[in-house]
Amino acid sequence: MAELNYRMISPSQTSIESGIRSLEGPEVCFAGQEQLIMPIEIEVHKPVEETLRDREHELSQLINMVPSHLWRLTPEGEPTFFNKRMVDFLGLDVPDMDKPGISRLEAVIETVHPHEAAEFRDTLNRCLVTGEHFTMRYRLRRADGVYRWMSSRAEPMRDPGGHIVQWYGLCHDIDDQMHAEEALRQSERQLQQMIDAVPVRIWSVTSMDGPVYFNKRYQDHFRAVIPDFEAIEEPRIETLLQELICPEDAPEVQRTLLNCFESGRGTVMRFRWLEKDGAYRWAECRVEPRRDQDGTIVQWYGVSLDIDDEVRAQEALRNRERELSLLVDMVPSNLWRLTPDGETTLANKHMADFLGVDLEDKRQLAVVFDAIFHPDDVDAVSDVLGRCLKTGELFSMKYRLRRHDGVYRWMSGRAEPLRAPDGRIAQWFGLCHDIDDQVHAEEALRRASEQLARATQAASLAELSASIAHEVNQPLAAIVANSHACHRWLSAEPPNVERAKITAERITRDANSAADVVSRIRALFRQAPRARSSENINHLIGEVCQLMADGIAAKGIRIETNLEPDLPSVALDRVQVQQVFVNLVRNGVEAMDGAIVDGARALQISSLRDGNDAIRIEVRDAGTGFEDTESVFQPFFTTKQHGMGMGLAICRSIIESHGGRLWMANNETRGATVAFTLPLEASEAP
Amino acid sequence: MSQRKEMVFVVDDDARVREAINELLESLGWQSETFAAAADYVAYAKPDLPACLILDVELPDINGLEFQKQLSDDVHPPIVFITGHGDIPSSVRAIQGGAVDFLTKPVGENDLVAAVRAAIDRDRIQRSARAELSELARRLAALTPREREVLPLVVSGLLNKQAAAELGISEITLEIHRSKIMHKMRAESLADLVRIAEKLRIPITHSRRSGSLQECPTRSP
Repeated sequence: MAELNYRMISPSQTSIESGIRSLEGPEVCFAGQEQLIMPIEIEVHKPVEETLRDREHELSQLINMVPSHLWRLTPEGEPTFFNKRMVDFLGLDVPDMDKPGISRLEAVIETVHPHEAAEFRDTLNRCLVTGEHFTMRYRLRRADGVYRWMSSRAEPMRDPGGHIVQWYGLCHDIDDQMHAEEALRQSERQLQQMIDAVPVRIWSVTSMDGPVYFNKRYQDHFRAVIPDFEAIEEPRIETLLQELICPEDAPEVQRTLLNCFESGRGTVMRFRWLEKDGAYRWAECRVEPRRDQDGTIVQWYGVSLDIDDEVRAQEALRNRERELSLLVDMVPSNLWRLTPDGETTLANKHMADFLGVDLEDKRQLAVVFDAIFHPDDVDAVSDVLGRCLKTGELFSMKYRLRRHDGVYRWMSGRAEPLRAPDGRIAQWFGLCHDIDDQVHAEEALRRASEQLARATQAASLAELSASIAHEVNQPLAAIVANSHACHRWLSAEPPNVERAKITAERITRDANSAADVVSRIRALFRQAPRARSSENINHLIGEVCQLMADGIAAKGIRIETNLEPDLPSVALDRVQVQQVFVNLVRNGVEAMDGAIVDGARALQISSLRDGNDAIRIEVRDAGTGFEDTESVFQPFFTTKQHGMGMGLAICRSIIESHGGRLWMANNETRGATVAFTLPLEASEAP
Repeated sequence: MSQRKEMVFVVDDDARVREAINELLESLGWQSETFAAAADYVAYAKPDLPACLILDVELPDINGLEFQKQLSDDVHPPIVFITGHGDIPSSVRAIQGGAVDFLTKPVGENDLVAAVRAAIDRDRIQRSARAELSELARRLAALTPREREVLPLVVSGLLNKQAAAELGISEITLEIHRSKIMHKMRAESLADLVRIAEKLRIPITHSRRSGSLQECPTRSP
């Protein structure tokens, strides 16, 4: 067998090897060497023996040094050679395979992992029979019992007659590679699982027209919505647009995506998509491109999220906000909001329209608010508002506001603070409504009422004359009767002068009484300054009590006086003040007479000092009291069946003309007290 | 002027008026008693004399017209109203209620005297009418039951025969009853008896011209 000592170079010309090749069969080369080998130089022939030895050595070295397992089988599959690495790996050499009862091949198969052993046996047997190349991956047991993945190949060597002479096999350790691949697969699987598991719908596409990758959730979505989804071989964006997205939104989505793909910029879009129950739900889709190192877009990714609940909540919120805003704007009042410092931060449309300001311009609002109050009101408003802001008390007042056309209108304004949970004032909310018409109506009413009062005063002169007639008539009736009697006594035989005298005195007394009434009434209407005399008020009270004692005692009522001694004299109109006393005493008596009063029916009259410059007189009854202690002073107010209702009104004007005051209060227990003051320094009231 | 046996009551809440009217009445020779309130007048034990009540319309305890209404059920002296401001409806009401007069203050002497006198005269007449009636009633009470049966028949104008037939007694017997009745009632004639029966409101049960006789056949043959 002639052999050739050669050096060879691989096609890539990166490595050069030298070796020996059989001259008879140059195609026979080292098993596992699949590259074509280009002989480039043939060296001188060596003497055959030497050559053989060298070759033997080199070959043996080579076989043992290649980092793979090399082996050889008989055409029947019996192993005949393992290289050293294989022996080392298995911990067995070929002779070690010889075990009783089993063939060497079976012994080899034993070292294959039980999972692959059967396949290994079948494949190898088939190859041995058919002469096909053997190629397989399997785990092989290392000497230490660890199985490692091997990639194995074997080819038969045939003689010139085509008969298989030997099988040469090679296997190399791919365990690390297998684990790496496994890890990679694992990682991929996890990634996939993750992509499928995240509750979003993910898609990716390379171009607008290209097929789209959808994650499982997206596919499930499709399946639920598109009846013949399985028939769609390659879903595209178009499919999405046609089948899934609300027809109203689809054109916009398409436009957005086209823009996106053209510009290379990501986008966010919202649209409604069909859900399996046939309803549309809102979704948000974010689209981003992935670029390679050069910046070229290689893929587009999209993430679609169901945001329906959120959108609807927002919509509901917006609707509510719109409604509230509408409400705020539509209420026919001016609404406003202030910061705790009093800065206006909000006004409703009604107010803006009234003031003629643009609501959008907050600065304008603040400026306008400084100039909208009537000059006569601005100080009062800022005083009150300032106090309210400081103390937190409710703001409520009437003022005039300038309308956009410069007309001031009366407003009734109120504001309340909104407090934070800690009690601090967070905002002030105010409301003011236009009461201008009302104010004017009230004013007109007041004017009318004044006119009416004057008219009534004039008219009541006639009515008053009836009252006056009664007041004057009583003494007149007495005078007339007395004068007739007097005449009779004098005309009698003999004349009864004593009785005549008495009646004449009574005539004088009653005539004066009538004259007093007349002048009192004249004074009431003229209110002319009257001559005043210095009087002791306690004496005056005593006279009145004496004057009225009869009638009062008849009603079973007692008068109790509690007079402070040594009161200074007061300059007063004797008749008028006496009239006041008479009136008050009569009122008190009548109040008690009308009331069912158990216990003492006593009228208390007291006099006392009221400060340094006045004295006070109180008439206290135990009657029914009054519902309204102020309206009793109005002329013609009466609780009596036969009263004119002038008494207290006249009393008050008399006391006021003396520079004093007259008022009434209901007692705590029962009845009412009328009190009046008279100043020590007489003042001439107009 | 000597005091008459007549009484004037005055009710007025104004002491001055009360006093003056009292003075005037006394100067005119009347006894007078004054009261400030209607209740006081009611409570007063009044002497049995012809009297008059001068009543102020505006009284503290009751309106004079109301008081008049309350009094109307009992025997009371005729009323003369006096008022500070007389109005027509009140005066009409007062007069319809039986008042003698309705005077406006101040009251003149002549008006007062005339009114008081008229009132007392009316009271006197009423009193004598009341006295006569009670005397007649006393006489009627003295009749026997049979005589009380005969009386209506006689005053109805039935003949003795008719009346006897009506009662089923003899004409003679009836004549005896009739004569006793005339005596007991102190009637001087049949006409007198008829007048007395009228005052006593004895009903006329039979008329001579009525068909009652035909309906009541005579029992005498």
